[in-house]
Amino acid sequence: MSKKILIVDDDQEIRSYLSELFGDNGYETVTAEDGKIATEVAEKENPDLITLDLEMPNEWGPRFYRKLSQNEKLKRTPVIVISGLNANQYAIPKAIATLTKPFDADQLIAIVKETIG
Amino acid sequence: MDSKKLILVDDEEGIRRFLGLTLVDLGYTVKTAENGQAALELLKTFTPSIILTDIKMPMMDGIELLKTVKLQSPEIEVIMLTGHGDLDLAIESLKFDAADFITKPINDKVLEISLERTLEKIQMKSKLREYTVNLERLVDEKTQRIVELERQNAACQVIEGLSGALTSASNEMESGSGLFNELPCLVSIHNRYLEIVSANQLLKDRLGDVVGLNSFDIYSDRTSAGNACPVQKTFETGKGQRSKETFLTKDGEEIPVTVYTAPIANKEGEIELVLDISVDMTELQRLKDELLTTQHKFERLFDESPCYISVQNKDFTIAEVNRRFKEDFEDITGSHCYKTYKRSNEPCVECPVKLTFGDGESHQMETVVTTKKGEQKNVLVWSSPIRDAYGNINQVMEMSTDITEIRRLQDHLTSLGFMLGSMSHGVKGMLTALDGGIYRLESGLRKNDQDRIDSATKALKSTVNRVKKMVLDILYYAKSRELEMETVDASSFLTDTASLVAIKAKNAGVTFIQDIPDNLGPIKIDSSAMSATLVNFLENGVDACENPIERKDYSLSFSAARSDNNLVIKITDTGMGMDQETANKIFTLFFSSKGKKGTGIGLFISNQTIEKHNGKILVDSELGKGTSFTITIPCNI
Repeated sequence: MSKKILIVDDDQEIRSYLSELFGDNGYETVTAEDGKIATEVAEKENPDLITLDLEMPNEWGPRFYRKLSQNEKLKRTPVIVISGLNANQYAIPKAIATLTKPFDADQLIAIVKETIG
Repeated sequence: MDSKKLILVDDEEGIRRFLGLTLVDLGYTVKTAENGQAALELLKTFTPSIILTDIKMPMMDGIELLKTVKLQSPEIEVIMLTGHGDLDLAIESLKFDAADFITKPINDKVLEISLERTLEKIQMKSKLREYTVNLERLVDEKTQRIVELERQNAACQVIEGLSGALTSASNEMESGSGLFNELPCLVSIHNRYLEIVSANQLLKDRLGDVVGLNSFDIYSDRTSAGNACPVQKTFETGKGQRSKETFLTKDGEEIPVTVYTAPIANKEGEIELVLDISVDMTELQRLKDELLTTQHKFERLFDESPCYISVQNKDFTIAEVNRRFKEDFEDITGSHCYKTYKRSNEPCVECPVKLTFGDGESHQMETVVTTKKGEQKNVLVWSSPIRDAYGNINQVMEMSTDITEIRRLQDHLTSLGFMLGSMSHGVKGMLTALDGGIYRLESGLRKNDQDRIDSATKALKSTVNRVKKMVLDILYYAKSRELEMETVDASSFLTDTASLVAIKAKNAGVTFIQDIPDNLGPIKIDSSAMSATLVNFLENGVDACENPIERKDYSLSFSAARSDNNLVIKITDTGMGMDQETANKIFTLFFSSKGKKGTGIGLFISNQTIEKHNGKILVDSELGKGTSFTITIPCNI
């Protein structure tokens, strides 16, 4: 059974891009356009990994991460931050990786593979 | 008084004759009487020093005579002559102040000694009396002298006091400081001899050194005493005078004055000096003019100050506002400033006026206010206490300086600062999307997946458009483009502009109402910049209708009219509208109410373009009801 990745980003183009990128590498994907929706999706889909944008309307990345880390079922889910913000490595220190947009697709896939196989 | 006069009283004729002769021999003037009664009769015409009287006599005896004489004329000494057997009577007579007694038969030697002793007594008495009288007179004299001295002393003190006061007054006058010299009056002091004792500097400047002259000399029409100059009248009546007089200046000019005089009395209430305060009527007029000028200056300053000034009472109502305030805001004297400044019913949280009433210090606040025409202005509010004569703060002055321009410049600079951050974030997102588009296009081509290719191409186009728009906006902002003015027909220009938006409005399901008359005449504008600006507003109007709160029929109206030499364009949508805070910020660089869809640059540039055309934008917006922009551009023809 393929591993499931939750993509959280408010930009439709980037969600599509990541979905196809991960799909081409044999992963199943689900998406969410802000932190609030991401929480619902994560509860329901129980993803193996989450890519997280930081600046989003409604509920932004760090807030979502705080909620995630308080959830017994989801708190061990690895998170990769993919954001255009400067100094974003400080926003979520426990993230397994922090990538800055525009990111290197090969590097992302390498990290994902290393994390969830 | 002749001390050698003597009355001899005896009822025996022989004694009277014999003794009388002896007494005459002793050098006395002697009168005789046969009894007390006769002696008293004799006393009416003859005043002796001594009376020699027998005790036992008919009619009135010697004792009785003694008593009567001592009662009537105590200075007359009485010597008693006694026979055998009336020694008791003789001794008794001493009680009634008899000088001596001599026993009969009379020994000449004894008589002589007794008389001498009596005379001595008389002399001593006389001296004593004289001395007593002298003493009384001396006491009177001394007392009088002491009183006189005291009086002089008191007078001296009064004079000293007066002269002290006068000295300080004249010092004040001479040193050019003090009250007298600061008075805009001609002040002089006159003594009772109608001489000028002192004068202030102003008087000396105008009339010359008049000290020592006669009081009347300073008047142009009085040449001698006795012609009732005000000073003289004051000395005569003891009352202050007021009259119109004419002074003669040292240059021979006549100056009209109103003279006020006041008496200065000494301790006894006598008038020592007269104070003459004269007001130069020409000077007064000059001062009045000066005061009026100052008042006008102040009023002009108040009115023409490049800020909005209001004076507020303790209950925070407006007592007074300046002209600039009235120009841009409703004059709501008696009401509250936040009503006209903010259209609010609540005072500002940190009201500087309230703080100033509290601590008497000046306070500052920066805020955004809305003029009666709907213009947003950044103002720096400064409050300052207005104290009355007792130092109480009864009113506070509130001055609001329009710092819209400064803020705009500051915004510009700040914007440039965070432009990189803000822009780089947006650009990063777009670059990622471009990466994604290319990846999807490549993988689609590789897999020959037409759907994926189409989707990727669409995504790429959309992203490229976003990049293009942002880059163009930034370029427009970064490069301060010079306007290329040309004269165009306003009606055709506006109709052409409207057609650029018509399709977008139709696609969004917004009714686009155009009301552009075809006789608007020529206008001189940079048509491409202005067209872009108007399209920006119109597209915003469409966008505002695309985010419905509740579904209804949305419309966007675009109308224009000519007013004087201005073109007035009105763009009104019935979309979502804005709250005041948002409306205050829409022209701020990088402010966007559209999230990812807006760059926050469009309206900023639009506003700049209109300003470069010397035009104005007014915003009127209400949340849920829509927004109306009124753009006024001078035709420049």
